[in-house]
Amino acid sequence: MFRIRSVVAGLRALFRKRQVEREMDEELRDYLDAAAKDKMRSGMNREEATRAARVEMGSVDAVKEEIRSVGWESTLETIWQDLRFGLRVLRRNPGFTAVAALTLALGIGGTAVVFSLLDAVLLRPLPYPHSERLFRLFPLEGKRKRGVEQASYGDFLDWQRQTRTFESLAAYRGESLNLTGTAEPERLEASTVTPGFFATLGVSPALGREFRSDDPESVAILSYALWQRRFAGDAGIVGKSIHVEGRACTVVGVLPPQIRFRSMPWAAPVSEIYVPVVPTPARNWHSVRVLGRLAPGVSKEQALAEMNGIAARLKQAYPESEALGIDFEPLAQYVVSGADQTVWLLLGAVAFVLLTACANVANLLLSQGAAREREMAIRTAVGASRGRILRQLLTESLLLAGSGGAIGVALAYWAIPLVGRIAPPFSSLFSRLEDAHLHLNWTVLAFGALLSLLSCVLFGILPAWKATRPAQSSLAASRMGGTRGGLVALEVALSLVLLVGAGLMMKSLIRLLDVDLGFRTEHLLTMDLRASEAKYSTPEKQAAYFDRILQRLAAAPAVLSAGAVTDLPLTRYFKRDDFQIPGPHPVQGTANYNTVSPDYFRTMGIPLLNGRELEMGDSANSPLVGVINRSMAGKYWPTENPVGKTIVVYRYAAEQTSAGTRVQFKPRLLEIVGIVADARQYALEEPTRPELFMPYDQWPEQEMRLVLRVAAEPSSLIPRVEKEIWRVNPDQPVTDIKTMDEWLAREAAGRRFILLLIGAFASIAAVLAAVGIYGVASYGMRQRTHEIGVRMALGARRQQIVWLILRQNLSWLVIGIAAGLAGAIALTRLLASYLYSVRPTDPSTFALIMLVQIAIAGLASLIPARRATKVDPMVALRYE
Amino acid sequence: MKSSELVQGTLDMLILKTLALEPLHGYGIALRIEQISKGVFRVNPGSLFPAFRRLERAGWIRPEWRPTENNRRAKFYQLTTLGRKQLKAETEEWARQLAAITRIMRAPAISDL
Repeated sequence: MFRIRSVVAGLRALFRKRQVEREMDEELRDYLDAAAKDKMRSGMNREEATRAARVEMGSVDAVKEEIRSVGWESTLETIWQDLRFGLRVLRRNPGFTAVAALTLALGIGGTAVVFSLLDAVLLRPLPYPHSERLFRLFPLEGKRKRGVEQASYGDFLDWQRQTRTFESLAAYRGESLNLTGTAEPERLEASTVTPGFFATLGVSPALGREFRSDDPESVAILSYALWQRRFAGDAGIVGKSIHVEGRACTVVGVLPPQIRFRSMPWAAPVSEIYVPVVPTPARNWHSVRVLGRLAPGVSKEQALAEMNGIAARLKQAYPESEALGIDFEPLAQYVVSGADQTVWLLLGAVAFVLLTACANVANLLLSQGAAREREMAIRTAVGASRGRILRQLLTESLLLAGSGGAIGVALAYWAIPLVGRIAPPFSSLFSRLEDAHLHLNWTVLAFGALLSLLSCVLFGILPAWKATRPAQSSLAASRMGGTRGGLVALEVALSLVLLVGAGLMMKSLIRLLDVDLGFRTEHLLTMDLRASEAKYSTPEKQAAYFDRILQRLAAAPAVLSAGAVTDLPLTRYFKRDDFQIPGPHPVQGTANYNTVSPDYFRTMGIPLLNGRELEMGDSANSPLVGVINRSMAGKYWPTENPVGKTIVVYRYAAEQTSAGTRVQFKPRLLEIVGIVADARQYALEEPTRPELFMPYDQWPEQEMRLVLRVAAEPSSLIPRVEKEIWRVNPDQPVTDIKTMDEWLAREAAGRRFILLLIGAFASIAAVLAAVGIYGVASYGMRQRTHEIGVRMALGARRQQIVWLILRQNLSWLVIGIAAGLAGAIALTRLLASYLYSVRPTDPSTFALIMLVQIAIAGLASLIPARRATKVDPMVALRYE
Repeated sequence: MKSSELVQGTLDMLILKTLALEPLHGYGIALRIEQISKGVFRVNPGSLFPAFRRLERAGWIRPEWRPTENNRRAKFYQLTTLGRKQLKAETEEWARQLAAITRIMRAPAISDL
C-alpha cells in the first residue's frame, strides 16, 4: 500500500515541482515563525528570536536538500542531472569524445560481428521441434572401434525394427539427380530418404505427404525453393509427374520453406529434391547415414546400452557385418561439425581488440582526469561526496560507452554481410551461416549493449577512482606513471599477440599456395557431367558417350586438349581400395582408384616417367591395364621397375537380385603399363598417396569430370563448350563449371577467411596501440615542457632531450613486448590446427613481428619526443 | 545541555509516539520531543523534516493543512491507522531491545570486580 503512495508522491514531486517547493518553503517558514515566537516567550526580543531561530535551523537550502533526497525521485533526478552534465562535458571536448567513441566503436563493433557468427553457428536452434532429441547414429568398426560415417542399409533396418529407446529412426544418403524433360536440364542436389524420415525430424510437408513404405520407387518430394523456382509454386503440383534421370516421377509432397536439409553439413548444398532410398541389403556396404529421435523420458545412456546390445546381436547373426557397436551424437553438434572451434578462436582474437580499445580509452580518461583536477577540487570543497563525483564520472563513461556501442553496432551492421561473403564455401561454417541466415538480429544487438556496459566498467572505473583521489604533485603525473604505463604495456602486448597470429596464418597461406601441385593450373576449365541412367544404361554406352563428347571438345577452337577423370585433384573426392601384388609372398596394398581418359595426363600437364600412357587401344575387350603414380611405385616396388608387372584389383560388380542389389568385388588381373609423376589429390595439404589410373573404357563411370586446357580466358569459353556438349545430347546438364584456379582458391578459402579476420583485428589493435603510445608520450612531453625549456636553456642538445623522453617510456614498452612474446608463445598453439607447414612458435615470424612492433612503438614515441625539442626555450620556461 | 544524536529509526518512533496523542505541526512535534525528554533530545529541522517525508511516504502519518490565525495555513501531521500499528510494533521491539541491553549492562564484568 505504501509503495503506491510513494510512487504517487514521487511523481508529484517531479511534475508539480513548483507547488511542492512552495509547500516546503511555507512549512519551513512556519517552523521559523513558531520557533521565534517560542523564543520571544522566553524573553528574547523579536530580532534576537528570529536570528536565533535561523541559526538553529542552519542553511534553509541544506534542509530542503535533505528533505528532497528522501524520495526515490531524487535519485532519478540526480541520474538525469549526471547525464546532462556528462553530455555537456563530452560536447566541450569534441576531439576527445570522437576519438574515444570511435576507438570503442571498433572494439565493440568487431566483437559484435564475431558474436553474430557465434549466434548463427551455435545459438540458433535447428528448425525441428525438440531438436535436442535428434541424434545421428553411426557404427563403430575396427580394432579401435572408430566411428564411421555411414551404416549398412540392412543394419539400419534391424536397428529400426528392434529399438525401443528411439521413437523413430530414419536413413538418408546424398545424391545428385538430373532434372530432365523441361527447357533447361538441371542437376539437383538430392537426398534419398526412408519412409518416415520427415516424421522423425518432426516436419510435416506444406503440401501433400511424405513417403510411405508402400510407395513405388518413382516418387519425389520437392523442397519449397525448388517448387517455387522450377514449378512456379504450382498449387496442384501434388500428383503431377516430373522427369528425374529420364524417368517419370510422381510428386507426393512439398516441404515447408524453413527446412534446409544437407546430406553432409560441410560439403553438400541444401537438398532440393527427395526420393526414396534404394535398398542395398549387403551388410558390408555402408551406404546410408542414420538419424533418430530419442523416445520421451529415455536417457542417452539407456539408448546407448540398448543400441550396442542390438549391434552385438547383429554381429553374431551376420558375421560379414563390420559394425561392432553404435554411438550417436546430437544432430545439432553434427551440423556444426567443428565450425564452432573457428568462431571461438575468432572471438578470442577480437576480445583482444576490445581490451586494447578499452585500455586506450582508459588512458585518454586518465589524461583528461589530470586536467580536471581543479574541477574535482572545487566540487569536493562545495560539498560533493566522493561517491557522488564517482557516480557522475561513471555516468560520463557510460555515455561514452553508449555512443561507442551505437557506432559499433552500426559498423557491425555494415560489416556482417561482408564477413558472410568471405566465409569459405563447402565448410560447415558456411552451411550454418547460410541456414541460420547470418544478419544483425536482436540477440546481437542485446550483446552489443552488454558489451558497452562491460567496456564502461573496464575503462571507466580506474580513471574515475583515480580522479577522485586527493590531488597529487604534478611531477608524479608527468612521468608515464604506473597506471598509464601499465595500460600502454598491456596494449603493446595484446597487439603483439594478434600480429604474431596473423603473421603465422599468412606464412601458412603462402606455404600452402606454394605447394607443388604436380600439374599446371593455368587456363584449365573443369566441369561435371553425369550421364543420365535411362539414356546411357550400360557401361559401353556410357564410355562411348564420353568418347564422343571428348572428341567434339578436343576439336573445338581454342581448346588445346580435353580429358576426363573421375576424381579431379583438389575436388575432395577420392576412392580408395585394396589391391594385391601376387607372388610367393602376396603383398596387400591400398591405393586410390581413379578412372581417366587417354588424354588426361597430357591435358593436366602431368609428365610420364616410365612406360607408356593409356591409349584408345585399351578398350573394354583388351586386358586390363593401368598407370600408377610415382608414390605407388616407390612404396610397393622400391627396388624394381613395376612397369610390366601384374597386380590383382577388385572390381565392383552390382547384381540385381530379387532381394535388391547385391554388391560384389571381383578380383581381376591388371598390368601396369606406365608411371606418371605425382600430382596432389584430395586436398592441397595432404601428401600424395599411391594412385592407380585406369582407362574409362575399361572401367566406365556414369559421372565424370571433364578437364579442358584452353588457349583463351576459360570463363569466356563456357558457352561454346556447353554448345558442343549439347550437340551430342541436348538434355545433358553441365554442372560445377570451375577453373582449376577456382578450385585452388577454394582450398585456401578456409585459411584465407581466418587470416583476413585475424589480420584485420591485428591491424586495428596495432593502430590503437600506436595511438595509445603516441597519446601518452605526447602527454608526458607536455607535462615536462617547463623542464625541457630549462634543460635547453642550460645547453642540452636535441638528441639528449629526445633520448631523455624516450627513455622514460622505454621500460614500459619493453615490458609490453616481453609480455606479448610470452603471451604469443603460450597462445599460438591454439592456432596449430589451422597452420600449414608452420610451427606455432615459428622463430622467424616471431622475430619479424617483434621488429615491426618495436618499430611502431619507437616511431609513436619518437614523434612527440622530437616535437618536444622544437619548443622555443623561452616559451617553455614561461609555461607553468 | 548538549543534545544527543538520535538514530534515524529511533527518531521515527519518537515522532509517531508524539503524534499518538494529537495532531501537531512541525515545530510542535520538535517542541514536544524536547519537552518530554527534558531537553535530552533537541531535534534540528535538518533531521526532522526529512523524517516527516519518510513517514509520510510510508503511510504512517498523514499531512493536513489547517487554517491558522492571520488567514494563513499550517501543515499538521496526523497518525494513521497504519501508523498506530507501526508504533505499537516498534514500541514492543524497542522494549525488547532495551531489556536485553539492560541485562547485558547489569551483568558483572571482569573489570567490575
